Amino acid sequence: MKRILACLLVLTMVFSLAACDKKDSNDNKATNAPANTTTDAPAASTTNDGEYVSSILQNAVELTLWDIAVEGDGNRPAYDAAMADLKAKYPNVKIVETVTENEAYKTKIKAAVGANELPDIFFTWAGAFLGDFVDAGKVHCLDDVLKKYVDNGELPEAMLGNSTYNGKHYGVPTTMNVVGLFANMDILASVGYDHIPATKEELVDCCDKLVAKGITPFVCAGKETWCVTEYLEPIMEKTIGATELNDIFRNGKTWNNEGIKTSVATLQEYIDKGYFDPNGIALSNDEAKAKFMQGQCAFYQNGTWNCGDFSNPENVKFNVSVGEFPVMDSSKSKAGQLIGGPSDTIAVSEGPNAAAAAEYAVEFGRLICHYGYLKGSGLPAWTPWGDLSEVSPLMKTVTEICNKANGYVLFGDNAMSAEIANIYLEYVALVYGKEIDGEGFVNGLVKEIG
Amino acid sequence: MERNNIKTDTLKIDTSKYTVKKTNKVLKVLIFAGLIIWAFINLFPIYWMLTFSFKNNEEIYGGNVAGLPSELRWENYEDALWGKNIGTASKDDTGFQLPKLIRFFINSLIVTVATIAISLVAALMATFAMTRIKWRFSKTMNALFMLGITIPMHASLLPVYRTMSNLGILNTYTSLILPYSAFSLSMAILICTGFMDDIPKELDEAACIDGCNLGGIFFKVIVPLMKPALSTIGIYTFLQCWNELMFANQFMATGDKITLPVGIQQLSAGQSMTQWGPIGAALVIATFPTLLVYIFLSKRIQDSFIAGAVKG
Amino acid sequence: MIRSFPVTPFGGAGKTFSIDWEGIYMKRKSKSHSLAIFLFLLPALILFVGLLIAPIIMSLYYSFFDWNGLKALDPSEDFLGFGNYTILFGERIQFGKALINSLILAALSVFVQLPVSLALALALGKKIKGERVFLSIYFMPVLISTVVIGQLWLKIYNPEYGILNTFLRAIGVLEGDIRWLGEKNLALGAVFAPTLWQYVGYHMLLLYAGVKSVSPELREAAKLDGATDGQVNRFVVIPSIKPIIKVSVIFAVTGSLKSFDLIYVLTNGGPMKATEVPSIIMIRELFLKNKYGVGSAIAVLLILLCFFFAILIGAIFKERDIYGKK
Repeated sequence: MKRILACLLVLTMVFSLAACDKKDSNDNKATNAPANTTTDAPAASTTNDGEYVSSILQNAVELTLWDIAVEGDGNRPAYDAAMADLKAKYPNVKIVETVTENEAYKTKIKAAVGANELPDIFFTWAGAFLGDFVDAGKVHCLDDVLKKYVDNGELPEAMLGNSTYNGKHYGVPTTMNVVGLFANMDILASVGYDHIPATKEELVDCCDKLVAKGITPFVCAGKETWCVTEYLEPIMEKTIGATELNDIFRNGKTWNNEGIKTSVATLQEYIDKGYFDPNGIALSNDEAKAKFMQGQCAFYQNGTWNCGDFSNPENVKFNVSVGEFPVMDSSKSKAGQLIGGPSDTIAVSEGPNAAAAAEYAVEFGRLICHYGYLKGSGLPAWTPWGDLSEVSPLMKTVTEICNKANGYVLFGDNAMSAEIANIYLEYVALVYGKEIDGEGFVNGLVKEIG
Repeated sequence: MERNNIKTDTLKIDTSKYTVKKTNKVLKVLIFAGLIIWAFINLFPIYWMLTFSFKNNEEIYGGNVAGLPSELRWENYEDALWGKNIGTASKDDTGFQLPKLIRFFINSLIVTVATIAISLVAALMATFAMTRIKWRFSKTMNALFMLGITIPMHASLLPVYRTMSNLGILNTYTSLILPYSAFSLSMAILICTGFMDDIPKELDEAACIDGCNLGGIFFKVIVPLMKPALSTIGIYTFLQCWNELMFANQFMATGDKITLPVGIQQLSAGQSMTQWGPIGAALVIATFPTLLVYIFLSKRIQDSFIAGAVKG
Repeated sequence: MIRSFPVTPFGGAGKTFSIDWEGIYMKRKSKSHSLAIFLFLLPALILFVGLLIAPIIMSLYYSFFDWNGLKALDPSEDFLGFGNYTILFGERIQFGKALINSLILAALSVFVQLPVSLALALALGKKIKGERVFLSIYFMPVLISTVVIGQLWLKIYNPEYGILNTFLRAIGVLEGDIRWLGEKNLALGAVFAPTLWQYVGYHMLLLYAGVKSVSPELREAAKLDGATDGQVNRFVVIPSIKPIIKVSVIFAVTGSLKSFDLIYVLTNGGPMKATEVPSIIMIRELFLKNKYGVGSAIAVLLILLCFFFAILIGAIFKERDIYGKK
């Protein structure tokens, strides 16, 4: 009996040790890299018609890739096309891809970071999400590899802002998305609007007419709070201006802001006036989006990743267009201030294959951006190139809006750190449920965040 | 669990004096009706799953929620089996391209069967040690194993993940089989205890007289009599493994080895519109074999219960 | 060594027997005895300690730190003592509320779900027509993945085209829309209904096993004594299966405390925390908010609670067996 107890103790200790972090980040994982892999960066470039060809990737190497482009995702075709191109260009590089659904991916990637199991290349969201990983020292710096693309103008430096930490670049932006106000133009026509309301007065007038006619103007999925931010954040930005909002989101400026209070009040006023589908509070995004696509409401404000689906005549049988949310307070804000920016990012982990992975990742991101734009799954973060005739009209409209943009504020839940973002989302949910008003919102956030 | 073995004395019964009350006919009908209603309620999800696998999103999201599909969209099944986008870069070069769903199914099957085997063996052995041999800490040990029921699996994700990673077995079947077995152990031991208590200790003693050691008693007496437990443990362990998503997603989600829940989750949307029709088809393909297997197994379970009853 | 054992009737002087048996054992194999025990326990122990106990200990350890699960843990810097536990019950997280929700679920489980399971098990245990078919059908919801059940109930509860509202409107009881999952007061009940419903079959199977193992002679004896079916159930069957009922109750309670999947799909704790349960908070803290310490604290609390209830239920069910021994 004593023996058993002793053995139990030993077993417990052994397994506690096994579970502890024995591996440090530079452990050698089995790779297929043969002896003649060059590991010094940057690789000398052999240009083929001016196009850069990496020499590291001429060698046989196996790279692991994690992403969220599941079968039904809008980005899947872009990923496939990008990988096909790169397979043709670098036939000795083998990619082992693991695809996971969006929400489950967050758990998966974070657990991997914690256990030193990051793949060579992985999808991530910029801002604080990637920032936490960089803090933990698990991400490979991409300054060297990105330099030439920044220098020759293919990758605007501004697009790297969200994945730059301590002055260094840690991610490759792929597609970019902003919040767009999608509208069912047929419904709008029936109340006398041939364009998306461009001013606050027009918006209120249009919505009132819709309500009078028994048509719901907006549908917003309350079950997924990020959908509520797709409505609240444009209101906030168009009330207090992009710079101010950025300061609050990212630079620690206080939430105690009259403009924020007014924004919340505006949203709740619109809810009271019946501009929002009352059933929305219990709906998931899928259900809300389905309502719009079935022509049951006039507007749907959400990310431009929806362009692909809305451009598909199988899904949407009416005339659909997209615009910018109107300015609420023209003294502080103006047209061209958008919510969004480059968030979808490809990053590289610190590991034995980091150099090769970095080269691949940058070219990969560039191609995803290219094909994503063509196929309508996102706006280009990189400078568009090639034959752009395939781009859908919806996409072109949004691109034009972006070309005239003068301010970007990244989505709140991406811009802020995980913990703060969740607090923010909880308060937004309370706002949508009309549990608190603007005053309560601001006071609560000041107390929790500052 | 001590059985109350009350032997009825053989008295001479004057049957004219004692009448066995017949069950009220009305009550019987009512009970039967209740059973039928409950059966319909339980069958509804299956019916619903079957019908929506033939619908398109419009019908599912409002057009025609509960009714029969307007047309039989077999393309949903095609999508589910072969996938719209076969061109994922993770193709390993298998000569024979099985539909992905079938591959996932087989993976799940491998994991589940192995888990059942391991938990069964471990539970049998452990229960034998704790119930058939008298030693000081047998009851404590039992209580310790029962502690396993209280542990929420989700919370152990990161520690177990690290252990698997340190052992270097991530992305193999073993990385799932081991945790699943561990988490099924408590239930398995509980079931084994129940069944093992029913085996009279006298059999042990008889074997002992014949010159068996403990091992002999185990293999020659106990194990053959534990066959009824097999089905029961099988079902409950199966439940632990088959629909489990979180661990499967983390430990074994690359390329060909994906299990069914992970595979189905991948068929759902990333950031755009979920096509529920093909998902329905996938779920039907995934679930129906399960139901059939269960119907087959349940007969054996019920037989084993009856056998257990007669044994007393 | 040969001993002669007097033949005794089945179940008679068992007491005398076991002492002798033990005596033989002890004398013949005292040394290899403990080795055998150890070997038999070994596989189970390895799995159990390595994959169940070790993680709990790790969780306990993490729960005392402010850690984000990503970077290396610095024991000196991040130590919080019981800080995480106090945060849990503070205003931010309102763990107490979630706990009460899961206790409500546990109560409903024991007092609503289990009686239904028991009734079904009793009804089916009595040689009724189509017994096997019914048994299979009742168990089916347990086999279907939670994704399906969740999506199904989302369609049932949908305010506009949901089956429930459509039905209520059809029979004239309802005028507009009821937002089953959107109203704070309704959501909890709405979420519990599918949870309870799905696992009726699970408990039923357990109880059925017990019901079936009640010896037919006992039933006959009671019937001969003039008992109705109801009385047979009450006075013969149920007392005989008390141990199994105890196990069912323990599963029901611990399962309720841990429940996660269905609630996550239906409401994810909303609206406004109305349907939050501990597991939902735990997942959110662990993986969305990068608060590994807080998440681990929740895990530890859940384990302690389940353990507490298991012991409590065991104590409630302790009964004297036929010889008057506990």
